[in-house]
Amino acid sequence: MSENGGKPRAADLSRRAALGVFAAAGIGYACFGPRAGRERTDGRLVLDYWEKWTGIEGKAMQKIVREFNDSQDRLYVRYFATAGIDEKAQIAIAGGAPPDVVGLWNYSVPAFAAADAILPLDDLGRPYGVRPEMYAAGVRQVTTYKGRMLAAVNTGGVLALYYNKAQFREAGLNPERPPRTIPEFDAAAKTLLVRKGDRIERMGFHHREPGWWSFVWGNHFGGSLYDEGANRSTADSPENIAGYDWVQSFPREYGLGAVNEFRSSFGNYDSPLNAFISGRLSMVVQGPWLANMINLHRPDLEYGVAPFPVAESLYEPDRPIGLIDTDVLVIPRGALHPEASMEFIAYTQQQRVVEELSTVHCKGSPLAASSEAFVRDHPNRGIAVFEAIARSPRAFRVPPTPCWAQMKDEMDRALDRVWNLQGAPEAILKRSRERSQAALDLYAANAARRAGAGANALEASA
Amino acid sequence: MKGGLRRELIGLAWVGPWIIGFLAFMLVPALMSLRSSLSDDPLLQAPLWVGMDNYARLLTDEVFHKALLNTFIYAGAAIPLSVLLAVVLASLLNTRGLRWKRFFEAAVFVPTLAPLVASSMVWMWVLNGRYGLLNAALSVVGIDGPNWLLEKGWAMAALVLIALWGVGQAVILCVAALKEVPEQLYEAADLDGMGPVRAFIHITLPMISPVVLFNTIAMLIGAFQVFVVPFVLFQKDKGGPDKSAYFYTSYLYDNAFVFGQMGYASAMAWVQMLIILALTGLLFLASRRLVFYRAG
Repeated sequence: MSENGGKPRAADLSRRAALGVFAAAGIGYACFGPRAGRERTDGRLVLDYWEKWTGIEGKAMQKIVREFNDSQDRLYVRYFATAGIDEKAQIAIAGGAPPDVVGLWNYSVPAFAAADAILPLDDLGRPYGVRPEMYAAGVRQVTTYKGRMLAAVNTGGVLALYYNKAQFREAGLNPERPPRTIPEFDAAAKTLLVRKGDRIERMGFHHREPGWWSFVWGNHFGGSLYDEGANRSTADSPENIAGYDWVQSFPREYGLGAVNEFRSSFGNYDSPLNAFISGRLSMVVQGPWLANMINLHRPDLEYGVAPFPVAESLYEPDRPIGLIDTDVLVIPRGALHPEASMEFIAYTQQQRVVEELSTVHCKGSPLAASSEAFVRDHPNRGIAVFEAIARSPRAFRVPPTPCWAQMKDEMDRALDRVWNLQGAPEAILKRSRERSQAALDLYAANAARRAGAGANALEASA
Repeated sequence: MKGGLRRELIGLAWVGPWIIGFLAFMLVPALMSLRSSLSDDPLLQAPLWVGMDNYARLLTDEVFHKALLNTFIYAGAAIPLSVLLAVVLASLLNTRGLRWKRFFEAAVFVPTLAPLVASSMVWMWVLNGRYGLLNAALSVVGIDGPNWLLEKGWAMAALVLIALWGVGQAVILCVAALKEVPEQLYEAADLDGMGPVRAFIHITLPMISPVVLFNTIAMLIGAFQVFVVPFVLFQKDKGGPDKSAYFYTSYLYDNAFVFGQMGYASAMAWVQMLIILALTGLLFLASRRLVFYRAG
């Protein structure tokens, strides 16, 4: 306040006026200022596409988006590289302001589908011939949920065994005859082990590298984690117990302290210190994309690829077992122009486009058939193996349930406890099954209550 | 317009932005979170009223119990050690005639300026079981260091160690409080024949006790919200070996954004707030006997 008897001075007034002008300008700018517009001067409809890919994978997709835009005079797609795509897509859809197309991981589809947060593609895709049958038999599974097609697949990810041929040769193993069954695999792993005093310098295999797929081991013994028809967790089935008994045999055989100490020597996945690329591990389970890292960090690495071994009784060379782990494209609920979104998705599903993208990503093609040139010129020398697994009727997906995130968390915990010898696999998996089942039951009960509330509301309105 | 009312309006106009911000970004979201905690709220679907079910589930959720226990263990170890270290370091920095005082003050404070994600990445390498700097240093004195991040018993110790590294802010507050202790108290103590240890216990500690209380409360709130460092450090094995480094806020985050259970996460958030409130209340009760406030 002014000091001259409470009367404001000219300087005070001009200061207030200036502050008022600044405040008004700020509020005006916030209310009426420029917005990130979705209109173009050429009148094309703008579609927003959120995708998780960055780096070379993002650039490859951006190139395809550019090609699509160049081929168009009605639509224009904007590519947004989006970290934490699942969370952000959920929030955007819940907030009623979703993008037009989202690139999710396949395992997220059931959670989004069960909440009607993504649109079925059955009708939208029909005019373009986009339907589940266009994909390889294994890949086909991830496009649907409860009989409806909900996702399109633009690159093919499948897990297989990589092995270091030079180390096989050095250890006296046949580099052209990788292990096919678990007993053969165990014998090879033992032969490949190198110790220096108490320390392990090289292991044949380590179940916790890279540690992204804690839940697959039972499948290679004939198990699965989920009975979709009965909505039951089958985490402690005899086959799964056999799988995790096998996992536990490694720390028991080699020493828990030693295998954990050895693990601390593994570098980052995308680096020359990657456990397989650096030669610390002779075998690793990974997707086709690993070859991009090998070609970048150690192009002279002599590697081979084979289906991951299975229990002896399950070996069938023409029907390999492996996890399908792909990226998918979906149209979120609330997208303003679903037909236009579908037109863009359909463009990405052409064989030429799929193969161009999959080549740069170093992944297999998700389509039922690949061109000869795609397989011949692919940067992964084991691509034929990945393609064979993708087409196998025994390729498996993650359990198609909206509770998968919780079930996976339980399996991560179970693997950690099995590996660290915290109990017998049977007891650990039993607890995992109980907690998974509790999550499944709770979801089903609330879904039933929601359905009941919806039916009651409909009856009341009638 | 009367002068009093005009002054009121001007005052309200000045605090208006804060009030609007508080309502829009604190109170309304808090009330929405309370409503969510009483619902099954999967974010992608309309919330479904479930009453106290989410709170009842907390009673039987073994992962929740583990995360809560871990958080108490962490708080129980990190807070007393950090408070003690802050007082000791502040006393050392306050030593008369200390050479390179500014350098030591900066050395203690600078770690608190480093972004947590960046410093956690550095700690990953420092604590690496095979190639880590810490184990290399221990090996110089003949100690075979543990596998800090991959052994159940050591993961928590590693996190407490990192908490101690970030004690700089508390140290600076203690240094400021130490400078405020009247010199004549020490002179009187000296005349009475009191040694430096007794002077520290009977003069220094009571005089800086309000700052120690403030540090303790700030650390308590921080400890119950610890998230970033374990999230980065144990990104491969979420929660560390056997979830021994899985904390309350980590589980809350997973429920909200990974499992899509916003209602359950909201219930956890409210319980977390009540725990922090209760513990802070206990500290204030204890402070009536233990904290000395100077008059005037």
